[in-house]
Amino acid sequence: MNHFTDTLLVVLLLTCFMLLGTSRLTAGVRMTAVQGFMIGLLPLAVEGGEIKLRVAILAALIAVLKAGVFPWLLMRNVRSSRTTHEERPLVGYGLSTLIGVAAVGAAFWLDSRLPFSAEAHSKLVVPVAFSVMATGLFLMVGRRTAIYQVLGYLTLENGIYIFGLAIVSGIPMLVELGVLMDMFVAVFVMGIAIYRISREFDHIDAAQLTSLKG
Amino acid sequence: MSPSFYIYLALAAPVALALAALLRFSPVAQLRLLAFGTAAAALAALPAAIVVWSNGGAITAAQGWLRLDALSALHVLLLLAVFVPAACYAGRYFQVELAAGEFSRKAARRFAALWFGALAMMLLVLFANNLGIMWVGVEATTLLTAFLICTHLSPGSLEAMWKYLLMCSVGIAVAFMGILLIAAATRHTGMPVNTALLWTNLIGAQDQLDPALVKAGFLFLVIGFGTKAGLAPMHNWLPDAHSQAPSPVSAIFSGCLLNSALYCILRCLPLAEGVSGNVGWARGVLVALGLLSMVVAAGFLMAQRDLKRLLAYSSVEHIGIMALGVGLGGLGAFAAMLHMLGHALAKPLGFFCAGTLGQAYGTHDMRRMGGVVRQAPVWGVGLVLALLALVGVAPGLLFISELLVLKSAVEQQAWWTTGIYLAALAVAFIAVLRRAIALGWDSSAPPPEHAAAATAGMDARLLVGVPLALLAILGLCLPFGLWEFLQQAASIVGGRP
Repeated sequence: MNHFTDTLLVVLLLTCFMLLGTSRLTAGVRMTAVQGFMIGLLPLAVEGGEIKLRVAILAALIAVLKAGVFPWLLMRNVRSSRTTHEERPLVGYGLSTLIGVAAVGAAFWLDSRLPFSAEAHSKLVVPVAFSVMATGLFLMVGRRTAIYQVLGYLTLENGIYIFGLAIVSGIPMLVELGVLMDMFVAVFVMGIAIYRISREFDHIDAAQLTSLKG
Repeated sequence: MSPSFYIYLALAAPVALALAALLRFSPVAQLRLLAFGTAAAALAALPAAIVVWSNGGAITAAQGWLRLDALSALHVLLLLAVFVPAACYAGRYFQVELAAGEFSRKAARRFAALWFGALAMMLLVLFANNLGIMWVGVEATTLLTAFLICTHLSPGSLEAMWKYLLMCSVGIAVAFMGILLIAAATRHTGMPVNTALLWTNLIGAQDQLDPALVKAGFLFLVIGFGTKAGLAPMHNWLPDAHSQAPSPVSAIFSGCLLNSALYCILRCLPLAEGVSGNVGWARGVLVALGLLSMVVAAGFLMAQRDLKRLLAYSSVEHIGIMALGVGLGGLGAFAAMLHMLGHALAKPLGFFCAGTLGQAYGTHDMRRMGGVVRQAPVWGVGLVLALLALVGVAPGLLFISELLVLKSAVEQQAWWTTGIYLAALAVAFIAVLRRAIALGWDSSAPPPEHAAAATAGMDARLLVGVPLALLAILGLCLPFGLWEFLQQAASIVGGRP
């Protein structure tokens, strides 16, 4: 049990609730940035004591990408789209927060039924990972704005990353770098896609993109 | 030259071409680069595949991180067999846009660069021996092909692109969970972290892996990669993306993209099957998803009016047949390999013809296209014959493979499977045949508005004739060398059940 790790995990959980409870796009992007920074610190905290160069480099890279580059790209999108708020979310903010609480409860219950926590660095890692994943998935289906869907995707990826830290003793450097590169390209491509959608439709409401059927 | 050199050559060529496409060429030159470049990339990738075909076994490079065996070599060959004609066809398809001034220098440059990038990443998926690298490749193909869908900027294409981007990204994220779970299953084997995810190592150590984790991981992988492969019920993005993309892109989507995702599932199948004690658990998952895809696709084929969506749903059906065949194992796995070959020949042809006729008629609505056999002889006949080949009319190659899947199901006395399989095939057959007859000979439909778009020179005759001839010839007699090669590929995923 390591206090620093647990603190980070609790902050991560809080960012999830902030994401669920806010309608302002800029606030959402900022929360994801905070989340990204925590994710960057997490491998260092888990490692404890002596930190290998490999881990340090990866941690720095993750922090720079997730807390710096991605938010910057998304902020540009928010500004160019002239949409500042999630106006009519498919699920209201109060209910979203309640669902978030339920998800955390479910995550702890699920964790108690699965064998992962026994070997993890902290009892909190796996349930927090599940909660973060659930938040990400929920944001993707519960919000209409394309930006929020991207934030949901990033949150989902963060959850999977935390889960990976908990259950796998290590992933080859090359694979980690590949995954990060893919994520970078994903945010980049989604950013361009949102820009084009906002120019073509004059809105970024993904829930209105329903002309193709059958 | 050593075999590892061939692997590097195959991967480096499309990367170099993608960079070359970024240079400032005119649109016409870009299209020429597309055709000749893809042919060059094919030539660069051929030696590796041929070495594996002729010598059997596998070749490796980069300390075993890159590897090519019969299964992946077969997929490489199919990939090339789709990409090369599609690149040649793209030159023709975009002529119309070019003449209208709609295919700008910038659009051409982006199209060519993304095209070669997608080719490189699909090859990486097939060459990767490490599950993690394979995942990176699949995700990269999603991202690179997204903008190929909206080459023509329209509300529909943007919607299709967004749906594709999000659904497949989430799917791939789910697949990553699966890979993590499989990595976790190796914890107690004492394998070093760096090489634990190598497919060959996993297969070698399957007795020591944690069965529960591998099974859970396999389910996540099937759902994740299945989204990209277009298996029902995760197929929603597919008809939109295939119908909105320009036809050369639809062809590579149907012929390569789906197959490369299915390939990832096939890689994990022997692992999950071996770890769970060869009781047919993992195969059962594939049989169920395959049948479901066939049934769903058959339903949508019945109600379909848009020609390209019809072809897209037919892809869902065919991916379902492949999954079913592999799931049955033994003869069924061989039939699935044969089916991939037939599908890779027939489906791109269908999209080429649909694309050209769509340009001529200005629509893909089948009610407003009719009598194409008379109006545009080469493309019209090509379309009708491609549709017939796709529903498995004898003596096409797909008829043989569908028959072999049936035989395999009957041999195993899987009566429910047999019944659902036959029913879905029959519905799809009727649905497509009805459309094909109306498309071919309905004389009440108005003639095409831009008949000039469907003129056919020597190039068109070759593009249409070669795949049709191959489908017929291979359906009648399969050369022994090819038969043996397909057997080898099948034995990697199936052997005898």
